[in-house]
Amino acid sequence: MEPIFPDPTPEPEAAAEPGSEAPAQAAEVAKTEVADEANSVPDEYAPVAGRSLKEVEQVRMLESVAAQKVARDYQHIIWAYGILWALFAGYGIFLWRRSARLRADMDALRRELDGPA
Amino acid sequence: MVLLRQIRLLLLAELRQEVRSFEVVLTSAFFSVVMMALFALSLGALPVESQLMAVPGALWLSVAFVGSLTLTRVFDRERESDTLRALLVGPVNRMAIYFSKAAVALLVLLLAAAVLVPGLIVIFPGAAPMAERPLFTAAMVLLGCIGYVAVGTLFAAGLAAGSGKNVLLSLILHPLTTPVLMFNLVATRALLEAHPGADAYLGRLAAVDVVLVVLGAWLFEPVLVGGGGSGGDAARPARTGAGR
Amino acid sequence: MIRRFLPDGMLLAAALIFPYSVARIFLDTPIERTMGTAFKIFFFHVPMGWLTMLMAVICGVAAAIELRRRSTTASAVALAAAEIGFVCGLGVLLTGPIWGNATWGKPWTGDARQMSTALLWLVIAAYLLIRHYGPSGSRRLAAGLAIFGAVDVPIIYYAVKLWKTTHPTTEVVGSLPPALWAAFWPGLGAILLCTFGLMGLRIRQLVLAEQLDEAWVRVTDREATDGTDLS
Repeated sequence: MEPIFPDPTPEPEAAAEPGSEAPAQAAEVAKTEVADEANSVPDEYAPVAGRSLKEVEQVRMLESVAAQKVARDYQHIIWAYGILWALFAGYGIFLWRRSARLRADMDALRRELDGPA
Repeated sequence: MVLLRQIRLLLLAELRQEVRSFEVVLTSAFFSVVMMALFALSLGALPVESQLMAVPGALWLSVAFVGSLTLTRVFDRERESDTLRALLVGPVNRMAIYFSKAAVALLVLLLAAAVLVPGLIVIFPGAAPMAERPLFTAAMVLLGCIGYVAVGTLFAAGLAAGSGKNVLLSLILHPLTTPVLMFNLVATRALLEAHPGADAYLGRLAAVDVVLVVLGAWLFEPVLVGGGGSGGDAARPARTGAGR
Repeated sequence: MIRRFLPDGMLLAAALIFPYSVARIFLDTPIERTMGTAFKIFFFHVPMGWLTMLMAVICGVAAAIELRRRSTTASAVALAAAEIGFVCGLGVLLTGPIWGNATWGKPWTGDARQMSTALLWLVIAAYLLIRHYGPSGSRRLAAGLAIFGAVDVPIIYYAVKLWKTTHPTTEVVGSLPPALWAAFWPGLGAILLCTFGLMGLRIRQLVLAEQLDEAWVRVTDREATDGTDLS
């Protein structure tokens, strides 16, 4: 009825990350001039393996956009999962308190039995 | 055969008692009028097409409230003189008790519905189809009330037999009767909208009724007097459930 | 020996499977096309919905046994199942609107599944109220309620479905591709183990409380008779 995406591509991080396919080729083509450009300001930035300041900034920017999107998308899930775990934790606390009360009751009974003897 | 005779005897006794004072009938009829007045005030100004949605709700909510009032009154009478326990101890089939009580409650509820349905038809123009198909309406109301009473009698009796707080009745009754009332709602709406499959809803309603009546009759004895074990809870030393 | 540690073992196993299933759900499963990431609520929402119904049925069966022969264990099972059903139902009813809000744009659509779960949850809540606050001797009444509740499960579902036929229906989940089901099973297993482990603990606790009550009664009885002997 409702098919999913055929391949693992549509993870939002992966979809938004430009460093993967097409941008990488573009970077390959543009490598020389970019490197020249970067070399003109050596004290600010030393290029690592063909990556320019511009490119890195671009990547960071896209990453932050993706991160915001993920945070927004996942908001519901975080609430839902949080509520579920809170409910189970609440039931656990309920169980624990009941067992503490039982233990106290049992101790009282034991005292009662030992006392008059 | 014995069962039927016992039911008849118990029912006659109930009716004789009722005829003496007309208490339950009159209170229920009056309460239906009150409910109707409330619905007329709150929903009377709706346009006709919205009334199609409102009328089924008004009808079955009234039946639900009148029903819980009736059941409470029917069993209060028993409780006041502790006659239910006497009846349970006596040489009477428990199912006969269940069916006679259910029949009384059903009769009262049907009388209340006989006030309610014409009243709704007068108040809401959208309810006119009910008057056009009186037989269907009567069958639907009958089936709906049977389902309600089948559940209600069991729990009202259970509460009356114990040292009951009767407030609990509505707590139990309304969640459990919601499915029946929903079937009724659907059937009523189908009737009002002149749905072609309206008759099929009556069949479904009847099927649900059979399930509920069988279950109610079957559970009546174990719930009231306990199953295999003797004495039931009453014999248990009551140390309040503080430790639980 | 096995019975003694069964609940603890189940909880331990659940603790091991939970991280795995969460990893499966979030890392290995592609994102659903129409509902997006909100669809990941499905993996715990649906098992909890199933569990709510399962617990209602368990509660009804245990209550029937309790009515037939007065068994402390059956009574404890019924109460524990109702409590777990209550917790799971609450989880479903709270996560459902979150999911609905994300995918349909409104939290409550009156969808058949939503409505029937809500009604079932009301029955479970009524059962718990009667068990805890009912007058003495209302246990059998509560058992009757539980049996009716269990029988009501299909009736409720069918009633709500009929009720919805006069309204436009919303398709919640159609058939799912196998990749999603593959991530669904570990989560279901984990949540089953967790709830049944908790239920086992609670049953043990309730039986113990019952035995303790009886011991108290015996002690006070003995003291009472001792007292009369002295005077």
